[in-house]
Amino acid sequence: MTVLTVENLTVALPSGGDREHAIESVNFTLDAGEILCIVGESGSGKSISAAAIMGLLPPALKVRTGTIDFEGNDLLRLPPEQMRVLRGRRLGMIFQEPMTALNPLMRVGDQIAEVLKVHNVCGSSERVGELLAAVNLPDPARLGRSYPHLLSGGQRQRVMIAMALALEPAVLIADEPTTALDVTTQMQILRLIKDIQRRRGMGVLFITHDFGVVAEIADRVVVMQQGRIVETGAVASVLDHPRHDYTKALIAAVPHQARPPEPAATGRPVLELVGVRKTFSRGGGLFGRRVAVAAVSDADIVLRKGETLGLVGESGSGKSTLARCVVDLVHPETGAIRFHDTDLRLLTRANWKPFRNRIQMVFQDPFASLNPRRRVGDIIATGPMAHGVSRHEAHERVRDLLSLVQLDPGAADRYPHEFSGGQRQRIGIARALAMEPELLIADEPVSALDVSVQAQILALLEELRLRLGLTMLFITHDLRVAAQICGRVAVMQRGVIVEQGITSEVFSRPRHPYTRGLLDSIPGRSWLPPVA
Amino acid sequence: MTGFLSAYLRNRGAIAGVIVLLIVAFVAATASILFPFSPWDMRGIPFAMPGETDFLLGSDSLGRDVAAGIAYGARVSLLIGAVSTAVAVFLGVTLGAIAGYAGGFVDDAIMRFSEFFQTVPSFVLAVVLVAIFSPSLGSIVAAIAIVSWPPVTRVIRAEFLSLRSREFVQAAEVLGRSRPAIVFLEILPNALTPIIVLSSLMVANAILLESGLSFLGLGDPNMMSWGFMIGAGRSVIRLAWWMSVFPGVAIFLTVLALNLVGEGLSDALNPRLARRR
Repeated sequence: MTVLTVENLTVALPSGGDREHAIESVNFTLDAGEILCIVGESGSGKSISAAAIMGLLPPALKVRTGTIDFEGNDLLRLPPEQMRVLRGRRLGMIFQEPMTALNPLMRVGDQIAEVLKVHNVCGSSERVGELLAAVNLPDPARLGRSYPHLLSGGQRQRVMIAMALALEPAVLIADEPTTALDVTTQMQILRLIKDIQRRRGMGVLFITHDFGVVAEIADRVVVMQQGRIVETGAVASVLDHPRHDYTKALIAAVPHQARPPEPAATGRPVLELVGVRKTFSRGGGLFGRRVAVAAVSDADIVLRKGETLGLVGESGSGKSTLARCVVDLVHPETGAIRFHDTDLRLLTRANWKPFRNRIQMVFQDPFASLNPRRRVGDIIATGPMAHGVSRHEAHERVRDLLSLVQLDPGAADRYPHEFSGGQRQRIGIARALAMEPELLIADEPVSALDVSVQAQILALLEELRLRLGLTMLFITHDLRVAAQICGRVAVMQRGVIVEQGITSEVFSRPRHPYTRGLLDSIPGRSWLPPVA
Repeated sequence: MTGFLSAYLRNRGAIAGVIVLLIVAFVAATASILFPFSPWDMRGIPFAMPGETDFLLGSDSLGRDVAAGIAYGARVSLLIGAVSTAVAVFLGVTLGAIAGYAGGFVDDAIMRFSEFFQTVPSFVLAVVLVAIFSPSLGSIVAAIAIVSWPPVTRVIRAEFLSLRSREFVQAAEVLGRSRPAIVFLEILPNALTPIIVLSSLMVANAILLESGLSFLGLGDPNMMSWGFMIGAGRSVIRLAWWMSVFPGVAIFLTVLALNLVGEGLSDALNPRLARRR
């Protein structure tokens, strides 16, 4: 039975945007008891579609044409009071960012009870406990009395789901509900949503950018590109036999080829970490006692010439801290960081300088890693100039570097905001390569990028590695990416390296339970993208 | 840049502020052409009503031209406002940048030092400083600068604290740039926006402080200033209201204009606010 029908929906963008419509002639239906995934890259209009259904479009976006039929009502023409009654009672929504979606000054249980109160449902206190139990939260009575800051991201997202389910809506809209979560938590939330949907026979509209998630959870799929629907169908047919070129390209971009096993690198160690330990102290101040938190404890890593070592783990596992120890952005307390024959940990700032030429870093966020007030050419030339290369010579080399990372040489005179995320990441890589390093540290270089751009950047890094003979320390939380680009991997959990070895061996025969858990949590693990 | 201009021009109050400021600046610049005599000269009968015997805005108790006084006073006000703000911004930015970038003990020391100045009422401190160092243009500028740098330090320090952990700053560290280069070439240009807004408000505040000082007789005795004129007219306000009212209006309009400009800048330079309109 169809519960929700979106017909010919067009939403206009404010004039001066990069296209006329945010979404154009969008048609889809949602049946009771199914999960429909809307999948697309950023800017494809998938979130706008969801916002239009909930009546939560930003004021600047106006609906041009179309109807959204829900239980015999056209949601777009419903007066606001009636829409308010439907929202929450018949239509539930969960959002992407569980960290900011809850009121920090209100107990979790009271927030859920408020939903019930607003819709005049009595007997709320027992109901809150039932709801918290229904989303598999431990000790619902105690948890209902806690404030949001005491809850982890996954727990908060469960509370959000409990709120959305409070009045047993017919349709649940989930806008990237797992994107901000770690992979193991993501798997738990996906299972929970699927489980609840089955039990209650709800229709779920699930918005995501991740084909793995689609494979894991969806019954049917809608693929959006640039505000239009390019393909609709059952999940098996779309994922395994995509018809539209865009869908094919997207699926081909999902990292999937495991790297062909190559002879283990036997060259001299370039970088050797022995017993590196870094503790942060938190809190304190005038009266409180400072609490020490071990970010990295006793990490041992060897990186040989020409190999790529992947450092994988969930957020807070200390992988970024370890990488920052290597480039002296973070100073570890104990241990040795041997680069060839020098212990970098013991160097002063001045003595470090010669090594800046040889060790470089690519950062995670392409929007924060380039100084917005400087031209791209200056950004790239800065490094060599700080090491005594003349201004003229440094700028000469900028053109070569830009073409090396496949950007137009004219880019040198422009500012970072004129570039897309993928292009900025190329600029970041060019900045690192300007120093002609032998060791490149890449800290989540593709995690902020769309899947097709991600594939391009990974291909570029691999090509550069082979061409320039780079040794690479590659940090990622995405095991698919690690499987594609890294020869060896080290798995980190709470500051400790729990397992390390040849990628294919670690992934096919994980020894540590944590590694096994991580691998089991890859969404859509059973689905292998068809090789194009 | 065109984006900034169009965002600024959308705010009518800000346009009015700029126009008033331009008029004040024009009057200050052409004072010696409009009134080719000293504002201290006795030009006619005392207590002439505005419009009477060549006195556009009347004359004071010694027959001096009030209009000329206001025109020459504009010079003093703008000069002191601009110079003392420049000095205060320089001091504040330097200390705030060091505190925000270095952190730790240096940060604590600088912030406690700035709090020392913030706990003393700024006008009282300025009065004491000018009284000790005898009133002159230099001592007034110095006193105003000394009482107005702490807010700049706080703002710059806060900006530095948040920018310091941004990835482009880390990238600069990894590239091996020197500390001064990171502070002044990488971070500072990104922290200037709030300072531009703040300094327009500081100019207004400096003009008020200067007026207050010269009202109390602590102005430069060789310079005609608005505060001095009000102070001189205060005792005869029932006889000759124009002696106090017109300089007062001049102070009011200039300070209001600067505040409007400051608000306009803050709206235009804050992309989140600009988009909402």
